Amino acid sequence: MRTLKVCLILAGALLASGCGYNRIQQQDEAVKAAWSEVVNQYQRRADLVPNLVNTVKGFAAQEQKVLIGVTEARAKVGTIQATPELVNDPQAFQKFEAAQGQLSQALKSLIAVSENYPQLKSDQNFRDLQAQLEGTENRITVARNRYIQAVQDYNVTLRSFPTNLTAMIFKYAVKPNFTVQNEAEISHPPTVDFGSGGTPAGAAPAPAGAPAH
Amino acid sequence: MRLLMAAMVLVFGAAAGVAAAQSLQPVPKLESRVTDLTGTLTAGQQAELEQKLADFEARKGAQIAVLLVATTQPEEIEQYSIRVTDAWKLGRKKVDDGALLILAKDDHKLRIENGYGLEGVLTDAASNRIIEDTMVPLLRQGQYFNAISAGVDQMMRLIDGEQLPPPDRTWQHRRAQNWNFLPFLLFGLFFGSSILRSAFGRTGGALLSGTAVGAVVFLLTQLLGIAIGAAVISGLLALLLGASGGGWSSGGGGFGGGGASGSW
Repeated sequence: MRTLKVCLILAGALLASGCGYNRIQQQDEAVKAAWSEVVNQYQRRADLVPNLVNTVKGFAAQEQKVLIGVTEARAKVGTIQATPELVNDPQAFQKFEAAQGQLSQALKSLIAVSENYPQLKSDQNFRDLQAQLEGTENRITVARNRYIQAVQDYNVTLRSFPTNLTAMIFKYAVKPNFTVQNEAEISHPPTVDFGSGGTPAGAAPAPAGAPAH
Repeated sequence: MRLLMAAMVLVFGAAAGVAAAQSLQPVPKLESRVTDLTGTLTAGQQAELEQKLADFEARKGAQIAVLLVATTQPEEIEQYSIRVTDAWKLGRKKVDDGALLILAKDDHKLRIENGYGLEGVLTDAASNRIIEDTMVPLLRQGQYFNAISAGVDQMMRLIDGEQLPPPDRTWQHRRAQNWNFLPFLLFGLFFGSSILRSAFGRTGGALLSGTAVGAVVFLLTQLLGIAIGAAVISGLLALLLGASGGGWSSGGGGFGGGGASGSW
């Protein structure tokens, strides 16, 4: 009887490692770690925004629309709790994505507008902040790429045989992945406006595109 | 580990994708601290930079590498440089104190890519200042060597302000590995002995598990002795090779996309 129990325990352990349970655990953790890095970098960006807005305000207070746009997008990002569980909830995940995308757009138009203010552009504080923003955006890109890789590995494991059976028993579901943020923009050819000198063309279309998201 | 795998997949994927329509620029092999694929620097200038960076690494432990390529197209310099740093793994493992200064000569772009461990001192803003205030003016005059040399000097000065572990890494690795197996051993002892006890009775099980642990410890210490011996021998070999000019490698540092880019 005892030997039978021991054999059962051993067989169970072997089965658990053979059917990919451990691999699912590993990759699940890898996804979580990758996700934490993404959230971390998004948070870093959100922390930069107040400083950036204040600096721009000092030189270009009349750009109300853009400044308010950034502040509002920043506030919206702050209301979404980016918990690790978010990756298991496709809907919440999309909401998070949308909010971050909106902030990306708003920041882009802020930087575009700042091109029109030579004094602002040569301000050392603004230059530092801009460098930090660029660095952070790049970190976000890297973190997102690594998250995409991690989720891909995890999802492939979950869908392959025989790990898909294990996943079914323990109720693991495939995780949502990032999509291209500006899908709609890419699928339309860009409109180029050569006419009507005066107003800077680069800054105008960007804020209009932001609310559409 | 997963990151490493992902990076490998990316790199190999890129290598395999050469046949595809848009071929990415290949990542050169890391053979020395200064890699010039454009033939811009003279051999003497390369040696001078190399020596400067080697001295710095011996003194501080942080690894800085310089890479000159003609172009990074079709990728942006940021995408290319993270691929390079993922493949090269500059800096020490866990300390992540590596940095890459990369110039794309025909694109007129440059970038400083910093490992996680250097993000505190070599911040994005500081990297940007090095690029914009020091390097770009020199690059505009075509003074490539002076720009790189001055840029590297400033990077080193900033890194000097960071408290990093001392440069001797072999010693630390050995020490860390030495006691890694202890928790596993204890864990194994608990579980293994309970199984053995239930299977073979109390005395038999205890006897068996005791023998097993003894054997494992003997095996491990023997292996460790051999491993330490091998480490010492390979370390001596590396020293000898280092004296003759080769045998340098990176330590396995991680990068997360921090740094700054510029153009001239």
